[in-house]
Amino acid sequence: MASHHHHPESEIALRVKAIESLLVEKGIVDPATLDTIIETYEHKVGPHIGAQIVAKAWVDPDFKARLLDDGTGAIAELGLTGFSSEHMVVVENTPEVHNLIVCTLCSCYPWAILGLPPTWYKSFAYRSRVVIEPRKVLQEFGLEIPEHVEVRVWDSNADLRYLVLPERPAETAGMSEADLASLITRNAMIGTAKVPAPTSLNPPVAQEISP
Amino acid sequence: MSIDPPNQCMTVESAQTLMNQGVSCQVEIDLSAPFQVGDRVKAKVMHPETYTRLPRYVRGKVGEVVKDHGVYVFPDTMGQRLSTKPQHVYSVRFSAQSLWGMDVSPNDALYIDLFDDHLEAV
Repeated sequence: MASHHHHPESEIALRVKAIESLLVEKGIVDPATLDTIIETYEHKVGPHIGAQIVAKAWVDPDFKARLLDDGTGAIAELGLTGFSSEHMVVVENTPEVHNLIVCTLCSCYPWAILGLPPTWYKSFAYRSRVVIEPRKVLQEFGLEIPEHVEVRVWDSNADLRYLVLPERPAETAGMSEADLASLITRNAMIGTAKVPAPTSLNPPVAQEISP
Repeated sequence: MSIDPPNQCMTVESAQTLMNQGVSCQVEIDLSAPFQVGDRVKAKVMHPETYTRLPRYVRGKVGEVVKDHGVYVFPDTMGQRLSTKPQHVYSVRFSAQSLWGMDVSPNDALYIDLFDDHLEAV
């Protein structure tokens, strides 16, 4: 689209601005409330919360048993529940089973545990393909699942939200809970990646694997 | 019965409470469950013009109830601002081959959460 601006804002950004100013003007939306919500999801809530839960499950077998039996209750013990994570189911990856999360109807996702969903999670391509050809989609994420492993796709179409408990890498024996948490990526908790083994003596940094 | 949500301006405090505590969709009532864990169930064939949480790809397919999650409000009627129509929600397992045919892995499965009104006995 032609524009005479040096830094033209996208059409969607302009539309959001227009709607926001109308809602504020009519007294339907308080800008301070909007800022609070944005601040929360930009800086406070994110995959580090899920990583904390997974690391605890790796070092505490009793907690892990409770987490798999009643995700909502076990996560509430840690005080980590919140909006869009009210009813949690935790599914465990093992050498025999690989779990993968999707919402085919929209983009339901455990916000309080993993933050806002990544763009690809909301895409039509991921949502429609992952139920039909999960192994092919996982290959595109760089993950080859052996034929004998059962792939379970969980469609979070109702009000339950899902978290994958990834496998703990064998090379992590003796690591502290905090160091373990730093290894655990967002994608590993959706099921589109495995948790990588620590590769160097430097403290590992949680990073997202593309796409 | 219809649902008429108030269109009030949300305060900073109520936004914080909402984000920290969420909103439960579960209903604490004693409602007997028409389906039990282990039951074979069929997702109904239906094509409502209104909102539904029953995706097309499972309609008419047979799966197995693997868990009863308890009683929840029903989004299909809530979405029309009609009754909350509380009912049981189950985790239902479908084999990948029953959904997509014999070319997919015989080991794989799809799990989806379905409401009483989405299901019929086989």
